[in-house]
Amino acid sequence: MPFDDLTRVLNAAAHGEPSASSELFPLVYDELRKLAALRLQRGLQNQTLQPTALVHEAWLQLTRAGDRKWQNRAHFFGAAAAAMRQIMIEVARKKSRLKRGGSLIRLNIEDMEIAAVTPEDHVLLIDEALTKLEAESPEEARVVVLKFFGGLTNGEVAEFLGTSRRTVDRQWAAAKVWMFQQIRRETSN
Amino acid sequence: MQPPSSEPSRELVQAIFLGASSLPDPATRRAYLQSACGNNLQLRARVEDALAAQAGAEDFFARGAQALGRLEITGADVKAVEPKAPALDEDLKIEDGRFKLLQKIGEGGCGVVYMAEQEKPIRRRVALKVIKLGMDTKSVIARFEAERQALALMDHPNIAHVFEAGTTSTGRPYFAMELVKGIRITDYCDQNQLDTRERLELFIQVCHAIQHAHQKGVIHRDIKPSNILVTLRDGVAVPKVIDFGIAKAIQGKLTDQTFFTAYENFIGTPAYMSPEQAVISAVDVDTRSDIYSLGVLLYELLTGRTPFETNELFKGGFDEWRRTLLDQEPQRPSAVVTALQGNERQMIAGQRQADAPQLISILKGDLDWIVMKALEKDRQRRYETANGLAMDVGRYLHCEPVVARPPSRVYRFQKLARRNWGVFAATGAVAAALIIGLSISTVMFFKARESERRQTELRKLAEQAQASESVLRREAEARAKITEAALSASQGNLNQAANLLVDVAAFPSNPSLDAVSAFRSVGEFSARQGQWRTAGQYFLALIDIDKFDDWDVVTLDYQSCGVVLAESKDIAAYEKFRKMAAAGFSNTTNVDAASRILKTCLFQPINDDTVKELKPLGDEVEQWIAAQDTQTINDWLIIPISLWKFRCGDNDTAFDYCREKLYDKTMPPSCLAPMRLIVAMVCQQRGNTSAAQAQFVLARDVINAQFRPQLQHGNRSGGMWYDWVADRILLREAADKLGMPAEIPESGK
Repeated sequence: MPFDDLTRVLNAAAHGEPSASSELFPLVYDELRKLAALRLQRGLQNQTLQPTALVHEAWLQLTRAGDRKWQNRAHFFGAAAAAMRQIMIEVARKKSRLKRGGSLIRLNIEDMEIAAVTPEDHVLLIDEALTKLEAESPEEARVVVLKFFGGLTNGEVAEFLGTSRRTVDRQWAAAKVWMFQQIRRETSN
Repeated sequence: MQPPSSEPSRELVQAIFLGASSLPDPATRRAYLQSACGNNLQLRARVEDALAAQAGAEDFFARGAQALGRLEITGADVKAVEPKAPALDEDLKIEDGRFKLLQKIGEGGCGVVYMAEQEKPIRRRVALKVIKLGMDTKSVIARFEAERQALALMDHPNIAHVFEAGTTSTGRPYFAMELVKGIRITDYCDQNQLDTRERLELFIQVCHAIQHAHQKGVIHRDIKPSNILVTLRDGVAVPKVIDFGIAKAIQGKLTDQTFFTAYENFIGTPAYMSPEQAVISAVDVDTRSDIYSLGVLLYELLTGRTPFETNELFKGGFDEWRRTLLDQEPQRPSAVVTALQGNERQMIAGQRQADAPQLISILKGDLDWIVMKALEKDRQRRYETANGLAMDVGRYLHCEPVVARPPSRVYRFQKLARRNWGVFAATGAVAAALIIGLSISTVMFFKARESERRQTELRKLAEQAQASESVLRREAEARAKITEAALSASQGNLNQAANLLVDVAAFPSNPSLDAVSAFRSVGEFSARQGQWRTAGQYFLALIDIDKFDDWDVVTLDYQSCGVVLAESKDIAAYEKFRKMAAAGFSNTTNVDAASRILKTCLFQPINDDTVKELKPLGDEVEQWIAAQDTQTINDWLIIPISLWKFRCGDNDTAFDYCREKLYDKTMPPSCLAPMRLIVAMVCQQRGNTSAAQAQFVLARDVINAQFRPQLQHGNRSGGMWYDWVADRILLREAADKLGMPAEIPESGK
């Protein structure tokens, strides 16, 4: 995907083109994959990537190559967070399957040391709860995606969603509790 | 208080939870919970649960963030994950399952196109166009319907057919079109090494398809090779034009993007716009934009290049691009090929079955000028119609002289002068478009939150859209008539144009720019025949459409409108027009515009309210004149200012403005006559009857002569038809005041 296209879509997003966000996603995704491919070419396939670092790297790449006029960082991170969520969940699923040989186990958080939950399961549990939250409150879910998978600060999230910092603080706090309650209910059943 | 039995809402629980969690002191928190939850124990319990879970949640998410880091994602992982396209259209089910969606083949600003399989009435593959999720506002649905109607009206072998239309189970309108399997026209030509003649023959067919669309009132707006596919039928190449309509924005040429993105928002939600903003969209594009695009296509077919290469265009950013398109003449096709380097030059020529010198000599001359005429910056200089372009290409193929000619020096100079206005107007339009785009998307964001309610709303809208089908059909037909009328008018066939427009019951709500020339020509035609009310109707429609055109054009149309309404004796209509004109131009700082509007509002005596309304215009003109050297004042400013003073009762000043000018021998007669009439009326009031009568008679003879035998179109320096009509209105007023006949039978003839 040429940078031109991505730049164009980001520009459209910056100008409030509503369809741009859904169009943005595959483009940013492509960009992330391209970066990953570049690492493989350099023989770095086993080096661990920090997800947020990857997103930031993609961003830098974009601003270097693209038209400098657009400064729409927020929209980029919106799409990148969604893309990172997909990548991380896929990876976590794969690894979880490898370790457990199949289905996701039910675990009782009340009884279990949280530390004993593998990182993969931990992330998958959050993702499951997040999917439920999306049905319940899409706005809060968006905040969670941006915060948790996109590594954005509350201020950045507020900027992206066009709300106040305070609203984001409240949504994030409420979402965490709601999701945690969901996870606890699920796992204790 | 009775405890409510229903489950407390999530919002309520959350609000109280958030309030409580900000109160660390246990006693304060309890008091707060008591007051907030009252007797609602269920609510209280839910809030307490949430509060109890808070510490665990914080911990869980903190560990979650660590867990993310410990996932140890590698480049290989990222690469291995296949991106899932966002689930956009999961709910897309066509009623009774007559279509099976196979794959997405295209996406525009408002619509998505799928390849689909139809079972009944016959099994075939079709292209299915559906409004995109989230874009289904009332107006988009209406426009989508309009596009479908327009497409249904079209029946041409070179245009993809519409088979049928309907609504999806969630209420989104769709239509099924002929699925065109073919390759881009440019690729087809290159792959088959078509020579220039064969390329031109294909191109002529494309022109005919576009002409057909224009005659049905449809503007394509996005003509480019990927929208013109060549298929083979019985071994014969047939170009097919696909993808008509407004919904094509995002996929448009990169060079069009910002305009169209903005534009897309425009047409996206007119419900939120004032009428004059909506007009910008109409002004942006008319059939002549399609002519330009055809010119670009022809350019590319002939030379393998577009007039301005995308990369070059965007090097300097958006402003640079706009300037290039507005100011820079593209290279002539023959010059482009001449400038190509060795290999590429050979390749381009070879694909056209020629060597480079041959190709250059083929292009030089007629083909150069045909292309350049289609690519004129000023759309008035382009071919009037796609047919005109096709005919000229045909003339070239038949070795007949072509219409297109190299531009003269005079013309080039005029263009230079005109261009600055273009830059100005374009900047304004884009800025406005962007601002509106932003606010609309904010509104849409909030709207998106109420998704459930929207679903039902949506179904209602779709039903309404279907109910208004007949209205839309009538509008589409009206647009077709108007386009036809514009063609007739441009060919000088005004009677026919007028007849076509009579049939148009109501003017369509958003007519094309073609309507401008049709309305203007037919309006003038009616006026010169003395059909004032009819003329008034056309000019009122005209000033509504052309608002964002060049001020010069706009204010002249206002002048025409004012005189015909004043002549029509429809006092109420004139009064309404006067109010609108005064309000619309009260802020202008362009003295020429101000004076024209002022004049056209003064054909009848005015009351105190009107004086107030017109004062900004009068002051603007007066102050401007006061600041000038008398020698440099445009003669045409004198009538408005002096008439203004006269209407305000300031006879002395009115008289003073005119007095000097009465003896100016260079004064155009249509300018001098009304001054004489003003002077005559002032003299009459002062009791100087003989001077009044002398001036009156001089003016009367000049004015009446213009209407014998028939009023002519006129010219800007000597006086246009509307100037003379205006003069005659004043003449009647003066005749009344002086008690003299406004007309005397011609003697001695």
